[in-house]
Amino acid sequence: MSHDISNAPNAIHIQDLTLSYDEHRVLDGLTLHVPAGSITALLGGNGAGKSTTLSTLLGFVRAQSGTVLVAGIDPGVAPDAARRRIAYLPENVALYEHLTAIENADYLLALSGDRKDRGVITDALAAAGLQERAWDQRLGGFSKGMRQKVAIAVALLREVPVLLLDEPTSGLDPRATADFNALVRAVRDRGTAVLMVTHDLLSAADVADRIGFLEGGRIVEEVAASGTERFDVRALHARFAVASKRLAA
Amino acid sequence: MSVTRLIARDELRLMVRNRVAVIAFALLVLLTLVAVLSSWSHQRGNAELRARHQHEAEHAFDAQPDRHPHRVVHYGHFIFRPLGPLAAFDPGVDAFTGSSMFLEGHRQNTANFGDVRQSSLLVRFGQLTPAFVLQVVAPLLLIFLGYGALARETERGTIRMLMLQGATRGQVVRGKLMALGAVALLTGLPAMIGFVALAGQPGALALPMATIAIGYAAYLALWVVLIVLVSAAVRRSRDALLALVALWTVAVVLLPRVAPDVASAAVPLQNRLQTDVAIARDLRTMGDSHNPDDPHFAAFKRSVLDRYGVTRVEDLPVNYKGLLGLEGERLTTTLFDRYATASYDAQRRQNALVEGIGLLSPTIALRSLSMAAAGTDFAGHRRFLEQAEAYRYALVQRLNRMQAEDVSYADDTAVDAGADRRKRVSATAWQQMPDFIYTAPSGATLAAGAAPGLAIVIGWLALAAVLLALATRRLGARR
Repeated sequence: MSHDISNAPNAIHIQDLTLSYDEHRVLDGLTLHVPAGSITALLGGNGAGKSTTLSTLLGFVRAQSGTVLVAGIDPGVAPDAARRRIAYLPENVALYEHLTAIENADYLLALSGDRKDRGVITDALAAAGLQERAWDQRLGGFSKGMRQKVAIAVALLREVPVLLLDEPTSGLDPRATADFNALVRAVRDRGTAVLMVTHDLLSAADVADRIGFLEGGRIVEEVAASGTERFDVRALHARFAVASKRLAA
Repeated sequence: MSVTRLIARDELRLMVRNRVAVIAFALLVLLTLVAVLSSWSHQRGNAELRARHQHEAEHAFDAQPDRHPHRVVHYGHFIFRPLGPLAAFDPGVDAFTGSSMFLEGHRQNTANFGDVRQSSLLVRFGQLTPAFVLQVVAPLLLIFLGYGALARETERGTIRMLMLQGATRGQVVRGKLMALGAVALLTGLPAMIGFVALAGQPGALALPMATIAIGYAAYLALWVVLIVLVSAAVRRSRDALLALVALWTVAVVLLPRVAPDVASAAVPLQNRLQTDVAIARDLRTMGDSHNPDDPHFAAFKRSVLDRYGVTRVEDLPVNYKGLLGLEGERLTTTLFDRYATASYDAQRRQNALVEGIGLLSPTIALRSLSMAAAGTDFAGHRRFLEQAEAYRYALVQRLNRMQAEDVSYADDTAVDAGADRRKRVSATAWQQMPDFIYTAPSGATLAAGAAPGLAIVIGWLALAAVLLALATRRLGARR
């Protein structure tokens, strides 16, 4: 089902963003807008600038030129304020091994000022697919997938206007991926702007309202789902391949 | 609950869930308890022993029979330095210098010129005192509990997780400081309770006690800041641990060990034998009060005869032998004082050098502060020696005056059968001699002596805080 975002304000606003490390230009005039209540997937190969884009939105790196706004706040100027409006799910989830799944969620939510009751947290953990017997276990013995589910629960519980996802399905099996995509759609439907960075074209095609192909530090192709039709993965792949060759030429 | 408190609470929760940390903390508390009890027992035993010996010595002096005053000069008198209440917390150089002196005429039988005085600021690893626990062991425990405070978060990536929840770098660092500060407080608390219990006896002075409490609090706070600073500056916990253990080794063990050796090499101090030989040589050139033909004393004799307008010592209204004793004692004491002053000066320069090295090691600075405030440092020992010498000189000269005024020259030089009895002075004279009473320094004097050490520790704390503020800016930064 498609989601109408034509009149929604942009929760993420990136305009002509340029960023270089030493002599290497990582972002080269990147322009990207993610309206509230929408899901944008950013695809691209290694070194295309996907992670740097997220780091810029999170205020960990500052661009040399261009405009970045997260819910109206420039993360380069006020990183702490911007982060309070972002829920972020990193590719390599870093959580506290001396805490249980519930304690991790409680601690991180308390830090963000979004403290929830135990029942709300367990509902989110269940929704994220974490089995009940793992809720009160310390994370020391958790697999990567289990940790990711805890982090997903925390990200979903954050009541913020922006959700950033970095390769969110990389540790999940197909069933869990489908469940996760359903969760992301639910978050979108409550008005959150979702930006998902991924290699996974299938997952992006399944969940995103719009897909951007990032290469050489800028969007070289952007496709939006229209009407009730979802993306044609084969066609997408072909378009991105053409765009990539065009850029290389 | 504020973000800072939340972070602090989680850090403490991690420590509590780490059994090694809990065991280490329990061991430190136990060690502190043992140190407090053993110090209390040792100090109490020492104080009682010294008081008993002092009483016995005074009794023995007073119990002398009728006798010639010069025999009393050579009979001598033992005195003991009473320990202040704070000595139980930090005995300082007391164990090295000793605290008893034998006073007699013509000599300064003290540790004034002894080798042991060169050890006035040596590390005292052999003594388990609350001061030792706080100076040496507590920082090590804090290192093992806190080295990973920030490095662990950086290494595992959780530092970003904290910041992504909206926690600022400053809140993260303050949270870690608060947690480790709470541990430092708990670490120092048993020793401080022991300190108050040990030192809070009659005669304890508030100002030096407050100085010691502030000094140790600043020292532990310094270690807390240093630990968090190193943990913030490196990216791996292992590196933080290595760096901090190296820092502890240099600042707490190495420099306090090396500093006195450097001072001894830079400012050599004569040993007892060298000093005794030098004094004997000078005495020969000065003259001998027991030798009436000595040139100096021949001149002295002429001046006395001229002053009284007589031509023979037999015609003097006072006993010339007593006057000889007074003059001889004045001369030898001047000589001894000259050597003592030179020795004090050398030791003062040694200690100044060690305290200079204290700029590099806050442990040396704290040790100086602690001993100075407790009155157990070199200055405290010198204070006792100077008071003892003043008492000895007054006592001997009083006996010499007694010989001059209460024993006639004729009797003093007579050799007939009854002469010995006629030379004697009544035993009541010895009982009327004033006892030695050590005048303890005022609280302000002790606190003033501790001020340089306190300034260095606080200076270190301020520097570490500035460096931590700079390191905080780069926390979590990554390309």
